[in-house]
Amino acid sequence: MSRTAVTRITHSCHLIEIGGRTFLTDPWFSTRPGYYQGEPIALSVADLPRLDGVLISHEHYDHCDLETFASYRDQSVPLFVAETVVEAAPGTRCSSPNSARFLSGSATSPSPSCPPTACTSAPQGNMQVVMDADEAAELTAILKPELAIPHHYAFTKGFLGDRLITHSDKDPLHYQDAARDLAPETHVRIIEPGTRIEL
Amino acid sequence: MNTTAIHTVDLTGIGSVEVTVADYGSGQPFLLLHGGAGPQSVTGFAEQFAAAHDVRVLVPTHPGFGGTPRPEALNSIGGLAALYNALLSQFGLQDVTVIGNSIGGWITAEIALLKSPRVSGIVLIDAVGIEVPGHPVADFFSLTMDQVFQLSFHNPGPFRIDPATLPPAAQAIAAGNRAAISVYAGTAMADPTLVDRLGSLEIPTLVLWGSSDRIVDADYGRAYAAAIPMARFQLLPDTGHSPQLETPDQVIHAIWDSADTDFSAFAH
Repeated sequence: MSRTAVTRITHSCHLIEIGGRTFLTDPWFSTRPGYYQGEPIALSVADLPRLDGVLISHEHYDHCDLETFASYRDQSVPLFVAETVVEAAPGTRCSSPNSARFLSGSATSPSPSCPPTACTSAPQGNMQVVMDADEAAELTAILKPELAIPHHYAFTKGFLGDRLITHSDKDPLHYQDAARDLAPETHVRIIEPGTRIEL
Repeated sequence: MNTTAIHTVDLTGIGSVEVTVADYGSGQPFLLLHGGAGPQSVTGFAEQFAAAHDVRVLVPTHPGFGGTPRPEALNSIGGLAALYNALLSQFGLQDVTVIGNSIGGWITAEIALLKSPRVSGIVLIDAVGIEVPGHPVADFFSLTMDQVFQLSFHNPGPFRIDPATLPPAAQAIAAGNRAAISVYAGTAMADPTLVDRLGSLEIPTLVLWGSSDRIVDADYGRAYAAAIPMARFQLLPDTGHSPQLETPDQVIHAIWDSADTDFSAFAH
């Protein structure tokens, strides 16, 4: 019987082993001004195992670093992407939003086309676009998972960006505490990049 | 406590460049770039900032200013940006905020456009470098020094000096500074291509502007902020073209406590 497991790589980038297949989520393997993981990147693109697919939730650079992922050895690995990824990357060879693939050499084009938006805030005003710890705990109470692993909390935009834009406290314990109150049946585990959790 | 050292940087296309760098404090790193008024227009601020917070502030003297040598081939704002980008690599610094005043702000904008991951944020203080229709940069080279002081400060009194009364060595340095401004920035103090190029920046940016600045007015500053997608604009009251010199406390507050600022109040 095949194992189900999750390995944290960094931020929202994980390896998920399920049903005998291995998937990579939200690839992010590089940094640029104002976008830092705030924690180690446990695996490089060259260290990745054989993948059956890549799942990309949205087009922001910290979730959709196709420029770096383009060096992955299997250029035919399927990308399963949100529609916004295709919209943000005109000229990519994504054939359809639900079963997009990139062709050899073409994956360098999408990332620079991604809009210059922080994952935690829109560039104008102080609109919050990422759930805070309490909201994440409320969602946990609705989904009722056995296990929850927080991520995306270490992200930093640097000294000035954290003051002007993200306003994040970078503390996953707030989620753990909120989930204990709102979703007591869910076990919350905070794990370091590089850690593999078998279910 | 601070130290000053001469660093040698090898720059592609220009060769070996010697640059004098004053180093204040320790902690969160800042690169602080002076304008045409020379390094002494920022060193007091650097000392005060490093005394108030756990910060390390590096203040280079642009080659040619302050009596320092300038290699012939180092003759543009882009060249200075490449120099300081290489210097930050040489120092091995991460999460650097670059602060620049006047021409130093222009250099800062060009550093941001090099998109080094070492530079995580920029602060432009009464920067020059862009062209804004109807809001020209005052023509420094056609002004008397007295006029420059008049346009530069909210209250010029304490800062005004009569160049004729300076000792010969200081006059030579002032003449060298003037020549360096002309080499790096030209007489226009602007690059017509800059404003469009700024549109590609994704870097967190704070634009601070002295409300009494008549070298480059506040609307010019608003246009600068508008050209940079992530920029926040803040007008500083009762201060002129060099707020870090005239009112250092409010500049330190504007940077350190920027999380508490409601920028919507300053945008219009």
